[in-house]
Amino acid sequence: MISSIYQIALSTYRESVRGKVLYSLLFFGAVVVLISALFGAVTIGDQVKVIEDFGLMSMSLFAVALAVISGAALLHKELNRKTIYNILAKPVRRWEFLVGKHLGLLLTVGVMLLLMAIGLVLFVYVVGGELNLLLFQAALYIFIELIIVTAAAIFFSSIVITPALSGLFTFSIFLAGRSSEYVLQLVEAIQVPQSKKILEYLYWALPHLDKLNISDQVVYGHGATFAQLGYSTLYAVGYAGVLLALASFFFSRRDFN
Amino acid sequence: MTSVLEIKDLSYSYRGHWLIQRIDAVKGISLSVEAGEAFGFLGHNGAGKTTTIKCILGLIKQSGGEVRIFGRSNQDLSQRGLVGYLPEQPYFYDYLTVAEIMQMYATLSGIPSAQRADAISRALEIVRVSNRSKSPMRSLSKGLTQRVGLAQAIVAKPKLLILDEPFSGLDPIGRKEFRDIFLELKNSGTALFICSHVLSDVEFLCDRVSIMAHGELKGIFDIRDRAALGAGGYELVLRGFAGKEDELKAGAKSSEVLRDARGERLRIIYPDRSAAERGLHVALHAQLDIESYESIQGSLEDLFVRLVKFEEGGKRA
Repeated sequence: MISSIYQIALSTYRESVRGKVLYSLLFFGAVVVLISALFGAVTIGDQVKVIEDFGLMSMSLFAVALAVISGAALLHKELNRKTIYNILAKPVRRWEFLVGKHLGLLLTVGVMLLLMAIGLVLFVYVVGGELNLLLFQAALYIFIELIIVTAAAIFFSSIVITPALSGLFTFSIFLAGRSSEYVLQLVEAIQVPQSKKILEYLYWALPHLDKLNISDQVVYGHGATFAQLGYSTLYAVGYAGVLLALASFFFSRRDFN
Repeated sequence: MTSVLEIKDLSYSYRGHWLIQRIDAVKGISLSVEAGEAFGFLGHNGAGKTTTIKCILGLIKQSGGEVRIFGRSNQDLSQRGLVGYLPEQPYFYDYLTVAEIMQMYATLSGIPSAQRADAISRALEIVRVSNRSKSPMRSLSKGLTQRVGLAQAIVAKPKLLILDEPFSGLDPIGRKEFRDIFLELKNSGTALFICSHVLSDVEFLCDRVSIMAHGELKGIFDIRDRAALGAGGYELVLRGFAGKEDELKAGAKSSEVLRDARGERLRIIYPDRSAAERGLHVALHAQLDIESYESIQGSLEDLFVRLVKFEEGGKRA
């Protein structure tokens, strides 16, 4: 079981990394250098903070875009190209396939994030800042956030027909998750009990991605504690686990015509 | 002999456009494949062959009936490691190398890690792709991809090998090599379930064949039994036979008299020349519309064309 999941994850990672991922990485590097140099030239305040802030935001956006686009297309590609037939004809359970795909995608975005983080740390150092290792912690938190986003991409591609639609749903979940605090504020503001209850359920159902975003903290020199890290990881793994369990439920009932 | 694959009353249907129409792709077929046997699974395009194979492998869930592999339900994955599958036009991940693809399938087949390298090199050796093990899949020709497809299917030394159009994309030499590989596998006790349109190869390889048309199994025939394939008889196909049916049928077995679905065409197979000539005489005398009259040679192709052609009301040439 473990070896099957590992092998599917490894193949997914290799296939993604040797495809177009590296190009997006290069593109990211070029964009960060160009725009931060531009920002640095026109900023009155701390140039390094602007670069760090902009760099972390770009990393997060690029990683989420990669997770949404690749994740949403992942299963559709397998079905369209019929590569899934060979795999599921072997003694492989469908949930093992989904978990393998999820881990492979996570590994891809994880490696990309790590490379981007190394690039950002070095760039900050080159333009005169300190060797800020807290940026790696911020990258780790982006990764933790992506555990949920990639699982959402797998979940939606297991139930909807087109990659565009599953990508759209995944991105909507990401945006809603990043804004979950606003839903809570809405719960407190609304007076109608039924609407309040529904919004409250919605708040608990949405992934609390905004709580996993520590970029601002890091830019101002405050890292997360181990307890925070542990809790965030558990939350993300648990949330992704539920999404993957639901995806497996629907996927196991699907006919591959 | 032991059945490695048993299919009983298998059916599969799905909803068509707008979920209104229900389409029966496979209609209650039954067959069994014995250990060490080569079984041909034939039918026209859209007959339901690939759907049946997908049901066997659990890629789609059958609507009814039962599939047993090595005596266990096809939903039970414990025996799946003993089954090899080569799909029609196999696809693999473009950026993985042949060795990486083989590593993946060997692992998924459940081969213990200590034996994996040997199993992979043996399979690649058999299909003659060893020299391309470092090539990415996207650089391979269709024929080489087909060879890798076969290598992944046989890497775990399966006891049942399901082959969907195995000769697709192969040149004549490749076809011969594949035939030799299949014969060797069969001789070593592997049961082959071959779905192919290359009837000459099926006839060469298989012990028995089944023919499907429009989701139904038209019959299972022993390839060595020429009479079973219809050799020695005479076939008369005609239209406008109203009122003359009893006279025409004289001398033919009732099981060998078939009307098409619309009742417009009648096909009669006479066991001997004198009975056939009597039937022909009746038809000529009554000035019936004779579509064909021929002696049956009994090749697999004749049998296939005759069954499928008649089933389709003459639409297929």
